[in-house]
Amino acid sequence: MRESTQHRKRRDPVHIALAVWGVLVFIFLFLPIIVMIAYSFNTGRLLASWEGFGFDSYLSAIDNPIIRGSVMTSLGAAFGAAILSTVLGTLGGIALARSRVGSLSVLLATGLLGITLFTPEIVDAVSMLPWFVSLGTDAGIAPLNNGMVRLVIAHAVLSVAVVTFIVRARMQGLDASLEEAAADLYATPVKRFLQITLPVAAPAIWAGALMSFTLSLDNTIISSFIQVPGSTPWPVYIFSALRVGLRPEIAAVSTAMFLLTLFALFVVAMVLRRSDQSPEEIAKTLAAA
Amino acid sequence: MTGTEGLRALVPAASVGRISRRAVLSGFVVLTATGALTSCSSNTGFASSVLPDGKVEDHLNVYSWGDYSDPGNIAKFQKTGTTVQLDSFGSNEELIAKLGATRGTSGYDVVVPTGSYIPMMSANGLLQELDHSYLKNIENIDPLYRDQSWDRGNKYSVCKNWGTTGYVYDSRKITREMTSWADFLEVAQNEASKNVSVLEDPWEVTSMYFAANGIDPNTTKKADLDAAEEFLVHKLAPHIKAFNSSAVQSGMPEETFVLMQAFNGDVRQGILVADTPDAWKFVYPTPTANIWMDTWAIAKGAQNMDAAYAFIDFMLEPETSFRELDYIGYNTGVIGVEKMAKERKFERPDLVFPPEEVVKRLTPGQVTSSAERLVAIVNRMMAKAGS
Amino acid sequence: MKRKKIDGATALGFPTWAFVVFFFIMPLLLVLWYSFGYKPDLFTAHSNDILSLDRYAEALDATFIGTFWNTLKIGVIGTFLCLIIAVPFAYWMAVKLDPKWRALALALVLVPFWTNFLVRTLGWQIILSPRGFLSDFLQNIGLIDGRLDILYTQTAVQLGVVYNYLPLMILPLYVAIDRAGRPLREASADLGANRIRTLFQVTLPLAAPGIAAGSLLVFIPLMGDYITASVLGGAQGNMIGQLVASQFNTAQNWALGSAMAVLLMLFIGVAVGVCALVALVIRYFVRRSRRVVFLGGAA
Repeated sequence: MRESTQHRKRRDPVHIALAVWGVLVFIFLFLPIIVMIAYSFNTGRLLASWEGFGFDSYLSAIDNPIIRGSVMTSLGAAFGAAILSTVLGTLGGIALARSRVGSLSVLLATGLLGITLFTPEIVDAVSMLPWFVSLGTDAGIAPLNNGMVRLVIAHAVLSVAVVTFIVRARMQGLDASLEEAAADLYATPVKRFLQITLPVAAPAIWAGALMSFTLSLDNTIISSFIQVPGSTPWPVYIFSALRVGLRPEIAAVSTAMFLLTLFALFVVAMVLRRSDQSPEEIAKTLAAA
Repeated sequence: MTGTEGLRALVPAASVGRISRRAVLSGFVVLTATGALTSCSSNTGFASSVLPDGKVEDHLNVYSWGDYSDPGNIAKFQKTGTTVQLDSFGSNEELIAKLGATRGTSGYDVVVPTGSYIPMMSANGLLQELDHSYLKNIENIDPLYRDQSWDRGNKYSVCKNWGTTGYVYDSRKITREMTSWADFLEVAQNEASKNVSVLEDPWEVTSMYFAANGIDPNTTKKADLDAAEEFLVHKLAPHIKAFNSSAVQSGMPEETFVLMQAFNGDVRQGILVADTPDAWKFVYPTPTANIWMDTWAIAKGAQNMDAAYAFIDFMLEPETSFRELDYIGYNTGVIGVEKMAKERKFERPDLVFPPEEVVKRLTPGQVTSSAERLVAIVNRMMAKAGS
Repeated sequence: MKRKKIDGATALGFPTWAFVVFFFIMPLLLVLWYSFGYKPDLFTAHSNDILSLDRYAEALDATFIGTFWNTLKIGVIGTFLCLIIAVPFAYWMAVKLDPKWRALALALVLVPFWTNFLVRTLGWQIILSPRGFLSDFLQNIGLIDGRLDILYTQTAVQLGVVYNYLPLMILPLYVAIDRAGRPLREASADLGANRIRTLFQVTLPLAAPGIAAGSLLVFIPLMGDYITASVLGGAQGNMIGQLVASQFNTAQNWALGSAMAVLLMLFIGVAVGVCALVALVIRYFVRRSRRVVFLGGAA
């Protein structure tokens, strides 16, 4: 009975329709990217006006130290912010999932994180700058005058809620009896955390890390307010170049970053393929129990 | 399966007992108190600038608009032994907020404010007074572009480049002769209805009405402002398709508008890449329009004074200035660049070098007490246009 | 004795909560503080010497409210569109797609968003241009007559915002549907439920937290967003975030801007609250009807 149900699922129209929908959505998501890649070969002065095909924009982008610097800044901030917010978000998500639903502290914590998602970015920007200045200059906490530190903190604050909720959604309802079983078998708390909790949460953690990396790379308004000399992130550069008209160099750099992230994705896929074993096994254990 | 039992798996049993509610709450109180104390500190003094001493430093921090200087010029200056760190901002307000909030510790030496903001910035002590003895090339600037009303005697700034506001229209769709702002307002409500774009700057938008009705665009009289609001919100706004200065450069090649209020340099860039450049006509409208000027200035608290002066002086040399002109497409105001442009076959110089009688009738925009009202008027226009 | 102890949330998550309080709430309180101030003169942005609620009265004018309704309309439609696009897609990824491709597909969903949003928006501007290839193509196959006139209309705004926020909807949905698990679906099939019944009574309810999370993640930032809308939609893309930004930028009136920001957050909160109420009501009625069906089936 089960075999034939599965067999039917593989060939039927619903399955095909869903697959077609999946492909269409991917095309929708990638359409402007393809356009951007195409227009990066534009030899004209304005990005949006096609003049001819050539590699000029790539050459001048590489030659431009300002562009190079801002891309490095953005990548560095994104890595830092992803690490920081994933660590904090994982702790927070697991904590929330394990707690009594509806308790005051859970509601407060959820509300706290919710507020970070509620506020318009312009408000965050205007509030964070004087705060950083006060802390860095008046209170003398020197690291906060460093541009990279500021960017990492600001970006992490914005994405920690996202990571927390993703991890929580994954962990909610998942049986804690696994961990109790491990405790009964005298595994230490740390070992339990590392070998059971984390692997189970792993897909959500990776998803959260990817999300915060993404959000950090794209952050424009807050970054432009809190930046210091030498740490202009890439989107801030673009935003301020909008007034004079975007050049194809910008599309060239975007294409290069796109290829770079595809490569990083490949690496992550390799890692995930190996760790994907454990969630399947745990699911099987659950089913057997 | 309550929370505390589940948690035992994650937190050592011994410490669960010790982390009492009181401890956690007091932790938060400490955090908040620290925060409140630091923000209440009353240090509002400014860091002071270093005095120039004749020795050019090996580093310089410049804060300018994005993509607003020829990279070749920057590279050339760096060959003199000073590395240049060039950061970008997107609006004057961003620049002011940054300089104001950091109180002299921003780290920036050379900044590029728009002229009309200089009075505000100097009143708040954000700018360093210029010592002209370090700027020998200041003589290269055409007297027409020195000594502006918002910075008499060039106390704080020198001209980087200037532009003016006019409008461009598709002569295939609009066949009548257009020379003034009144023509713009008329056509916007008729032939060009729903295909018009105006700039997003409140001063620019409202000045159209004032100019067309013979009122000083820098007026602060309530009656004028009320009349402007009445007309702009109820008569003009419903016909506007976009409030966007960046729409100009794409609007021409893509043909998404037939009438656009625009800066002269943007129009030139757009026409140069359009398929049908002859169809587009730019107008320097009568009776007056804005002459806006982006300037080189030095921020209070700058640490690399000699390098700052050297940099600005370098930018005022005619050859350098011409390369700037070529890259950003706006007049730099330096004597001789117009001649160089004509010699080197600079395309459409008429769009960047208006005739002298046009320049003479331009009005520099000022930041006045009506600034807030202008913002409110344009916000109402946007709401009306979008409904 | 046990009742006095804190439960897990605060203990394990303390670093996280502390981080957010210190670097987010504190600055926000600053903004709240600003909203009680005023703008002393033309050249100074802000002063808190005199405290009052006047800025709130000033902010709540017809423009603000009208723009908020417009934004709400765009926000609700946008979130709904994201939902109906994302649900089948997330289902496909979590259930139908070969497991070994899933992580890659998920990351591929995010990859477009590793390119800058202004560049992506400009990409759409090129695509939707009246003289672009899409316009030519649609004219050639006869779907439209005359040039493609989407740019600077409400349609372009919806397209732009849906495009920007779609991954934020897909991700939580995927995680939630994935969690629902194959064994449960198979169990449902074994109990005789057909696929549609399984979908509506097992998969979707279990995915409900994902739907809620995704909807919130899309709706709330969308309400505060304004740049994409204005670049693609022009005047039609007038959003309330623009009003707040203009107070902080052009008007340099931080007190008024702060008041508007606080109001904006309050309004968004109310909107979300109303939606949550509606969702609860729907859930109540759905549960009631389901109980009847079950009883009928069992008998």
